[in-house]
Amino acid sequence: MKGLILKDIMCLKHQLQVFVFVMIGVVFTSILFVLSARYGNLAMAGQEMLRAEQASDIDVNNLASVALVLFMLLPIATVGDMANVFQADGKAGFYRIAGALPLPISKRLLAKFLTIYALFGIGTLLDVTLAGILSLLTDLIRFRDFLGIILSAASVMSIYSALVIFFCILLGYGSQAYAQIFSLLLMAITLILCNLGYFRSLIQSIMTDQTGAFDMAVFWRPLDFIKEKSWILVLIAAALSIVSYSISLKAAVRKRGVI
Amino acid sequence: MDEIKNVIELENVVKDFGDFKLDRVSFSVPEGSVCGFIGQNGAGKTTTINLILDIVGRDSGEVRVFGQNVDQNSAALREDIGVVFDEMGFHEFMTGHDINIMMKNIYKNWDEAAFFDHMKRFSLPSKKKCGDFSRGMRMKLQIAVALSHHAKLLVMDEPTSGLDPIVRNEMTDIFREFVLQEDHTILLSSHITSDLEKIADEVVFIDGGRIVLAGNKDEILEKHGILRCKKEALSGISTSLIVGSETSSFGCEVLVNDRFSAAKLYPDMVCERASLEQIMLYYVRKK
Repeated sequence: MKGLILKDIMCLKHQLQVFVFVMIGVVFTSILFVLSARYGNLAMAGQEMLRAEQASDIDVNNLASVALVLFMLLPIATVGDMANVFQADGKAGFYRIAGALPLPISKRLLAKFLTIYALFGIGTLLDVTLAGILSLLTDLIRFRDFLGIILSAASVMSIYSALVIFFCILLGYGSQAYAQIFSLLLMAITLILCNLGYFRSLIQSIMTDQTGAFDMAVFWRPLDFIKEKSWILVLIAAALSIVSYSISLKAAVRKRGVI
Repeated sequence: MDEIKNVIELENVVKDFGDFKLDRVSFSVPEGSVCGFIGQNGAGKTTTINLILDIVGRDSGEVRVFGQNVDQNSAALREDIGVVFDEMGFHEFMTGHDINIMMKNIYKNWDEAAFFDHMKRFSLPSKKKCGDFSRGMRMKLQIAVALSHHAKLLVMDEPTSGLDPIVRNEMTDIFREFVLQEDHTILLSSHITSDLEKIADEVVFIDGGRIVLAGNKDEILEKHGILRCKKEALSGISTSLIVGSETSSFGCEVLVNDRFSAAKLYPDMVCERASLEQIMLYYVRKK
C-alpha cells in the first residue's frame, strides 16, 4: 500500500512544486502583512478608518484577520487534488496494473485516502509552523484562532477530497472534471442549506439597513465560527471520509477496474 | 507417477457484457508449461485474463489459480503472478528508479537487485522516463517488473503485438529462460501464432467468447492437416473430418481434424501439416 501512496505523491509532483512556491510566497507576504499591520501603512489605514468612524475596532481587526485567513488557506488549497491522480492513472492505464497488484481493492482505495491525509498533514504542519511565527509578530489574531482556521481549511479540503474520490470511482476514469464540479456543487448546496438562517439574516441585514452600515456582527459570524468551532468541521470531515470510503469501496468492488 | 498440477483452471466461466459474452469458458494450464492463448482481436482473450487475475468479476463459473479459488484470496495469489499487458500502464513520468520504489513497497518478494539486473540486461536506462521508451522497451520494462518479484506464473496479454521480429525473438528467449525452472508457467495471449508456435507447449483457441480448441500444441499440429483436392472432390470428403474449407480457382484447401485418417481415406489427395495460423483461421471461418 505504501508503494501506491508513493506513486500517488509522484503523480502530484507538479502540484507539490506549486505548493512549495505558494508556501514560500505566503510566508513572505504574511510576515510583511503583519509587520505592516503593526507598524506600516496598514496600521495607519486602520487608524484612519477608526478615526473616520467607518468601522469599529472589531471590524478593523477582523478585516486584517480575513486577509491572514486567506494566507493560511492558500497552502492547504494547493497541497493536492486527488482528481489529478485519477486523471494521471487513467491516462497511463495504471488501473490495469493496479488490478494485478497483490493488494485488495480496499487497500488500493485506502491508499488514495491516506495520500490525501498525508499531504494535508504536511500542509497543516507547515501552516501551523507559519501561524506560530505570525502569532509572535501580531496581536491581530491569536495562535489558537490561527489553529482553528488551519484545521477548518484542512477539514474543508478533506471533505472535498473525500467527495472527489467517491465521484471519480462512481463516474469512472475520464470524468475527473465532473467529479470536481459535483463535489464543489454538493459542498456549496450543503453549506447553503445548513446555513439558510444565516444567509436570510445576512440578506435582511443588508436590505433593511438604510444607512448602509449593516450589522457587521452578522457578517463576521462565519469567521468566528471557523476560529472557535473548527472541531465541528474536523468531526464532519472525519465522518464524511469514513462514509465516502465505505460507499466508494462498494462502488469500486461492484465496478472493478476503477482503482 | 506424479499427478499433473494445473496452475490455472477455468470451469464454465461466464461473463456477459451485453454486447459481448464470454460463454462457458473452460481450460487449464499445467504447471511448467507455456500456454498460448490464441484468438483474433476481440475474441475474449483480455477478458479471460482479467477474470483469471480477478480484475473483472465473473457472472458464473469457477477460476482457480495455484489450486485456489480466486474469489477468496486473489490479492495474495497475485504475489506469485507476474503480469504483462499490451500497453505499459506505468505513468510516463516514471523512471525505472521510481517504479522500483513503488514496487518494493508493494511486493513482499520484490528483488531490487534482480530488477536492475533485468533493466541492464534489457538495455533499459533506469533514469530515463518510461514515456520516452519505444514500444519494445516499454514491453521489456513490464517484463523486468514481472520477473523481479519471483513470480511462478507469468500472464501476458499480447506482449509481442506491434513489435519488430528482432525484439519479438528476444522476448521469446526471455520467456524460454523463465520456464527453464520447472515450477514456472506462462500464459501468453497472442494473435501472432508464429511466436506461439516457437515456444508454446499448450494452446487454447478462443473465438467469439468461446473456446474452440484446447490441448497440447504438438498433438494439435500433428493431428490437423491441410488436404488439397479438386473442387468436385470436396463433397466426397467425410464431413466429420472437415473443420473448414476454402475454394479457389486452383482447387480446394480443407483443414481436417485427423490428417492420418484423411491420408488413409483419400490417398490420392495431398495432406500436409497445418500451421497454428491455418488452424486458427479455419476454426474462426467454420464459426
